[in-house]
Amino acid sequence: VASGAADGALVKCVVWDIDNTLLDGVFLESGGQPPPADPVLLGVLRELASRGILQAVASRNPPAAADYVQRLAGLDFAAAECSWNAKPAAIGRIAAELGVPSGAMAFVDDDMVERAEVAAALPGVLVLTPEDAAEAPGWPQFSPPVVTAEARRRGQLYADRRRRQAAAREFGGSRAEFLRQVGTRVTIAPAAVADVPRLHELSVRTHQLNSAGQPVTEAGLAGLLATPGQHVTTVRLADKFGDDGLVGAAIMTGIPAGTARESTAASVPLVMMSCRALGRGALDALLAWLCRSAAAAGAAELMVPCRVTDRNVPFRLALAAAGFRAEPGAVTPDGRALFARPLTGDLPGLPDYVVAPDTP
Amino acid sequence: VTAAAEQLADELRELLADITGRAELRALPATTSLLRDGAGLDSLAGTLLLRQVHRRYGVDVAAEDINLDALETLGTLAEFIAARI
Repeated sequence: VASGAADGALVKCVVWDIDNTLLDGVFLESGGQPPPADPVLLGVLRELASRGILQAVASRNPPAAADYVQRLAGLDFAAAECSWNAKPAAIGRIAAELGVPSGAMAFVDDDMVERAEVAAALPGVLVLTPEDAAEAPGWPQFSPPVVTAEARRRGQLYADRRRRQAAAREFGGSRAEFLRQVGTRVTIAPAAVADVPRLHELSVRTHQLNSAGQPVTEAGLAGLLATPGQHVTTVRLADKFGDDGLVGAAIMTGIPAGTARESTAASVPLVMMSCRALGRGALDALLAWLCRSAAAAGAAELMVPCRVTDRNVPFRLALAAAGFRAEPGAVTPDGRALFARPLTGDLPGLPDYVVAPDTP
Repeated sequence: VTAAAEQLADELRELLADITGRAELRALPATTSLLRDGAGLDSLAGTLLLRQVHRRYGVDVAAEDINLDALETLGTLAEFIAARI
């Protein structure tokens, strides 16, 4: 059905051409009155967006063409590459911007040459004709098993991020000043049963800010919520650009009652956070809260076992900034290391934009 | 501090200013802490910096330095790189 080497893996992002694909005609050759949308493909685009699949455009048109199609579709694109560059380069930039590997992307274009270029340069991309795309909602690659509320709003969240990043580039001061300026709110609270599907999804989808690199099932999470001594803590994030909802969580094992304080360590088997929260203070806030909470419960040390990969460098940077260290040389062959910090002396502080009702 | 490390420190200041959009980092002292107070780099800016260092100098700090001690200050990072190129 489809050309390209995509092997049936789930598609996380669809990159659409505009002329003679999303539009029933050519944007710049329409003499002031842009052509109408292709009703079938616009319906497919909306349906896939409702399943949490990101929608983007790559078009040899001015940015006004993407704005026009956005208005017709009634949703904002997660990314828009409007330039005269080759399509593989445009798709590469979209992949980098959204953090979606090209193997999780589909590309729809009416032009056979463009399709062939993309298939040759990016063999992981599922390359589709408009006729293929009309059928796509029925295919397994476009049918994620779990679609949470956050996933459904994901395209909007990326559009919010485009505006936030533009503002951050304009802002001259420090990151902390910027976070305050844009009304950042980090809310830390115990997990509820209703959070379980999103927590499972985070455990599957997060890599850059994930300590364990291993998914946790919904049943496993529900079990943790019901187990005394296991604390699942959630992080929600919002600012004036938008509400990102539940972006991260940590599991901490409680302190056994009656243990002598100086011999007690609390452990955090999992920390995970969406890459949307990168650079927004949420992970630093969570690590600080975990330290303060474990100290208040009587622990003398906090341990974070971590699978060290080339993708979770951002997580290690946050660990380092919060004062955690691993024994150099004590990394197992599969990349596991135990990071720890004493809970004595100055603990990392919580910025004033953090709301944490149970803060010790 | 070697001349090579001083030259590298200047290049790193440029990189930092570009990545963060903060022109004042072009005057960052070599002994100021990068991550916490001081330059106040967050994990996003730190990751971008390490990626650029890997690309420009072929030094993969994250792979060699489990605790990322090289990021203590601009000076330690410059010396870490200078010792490997």
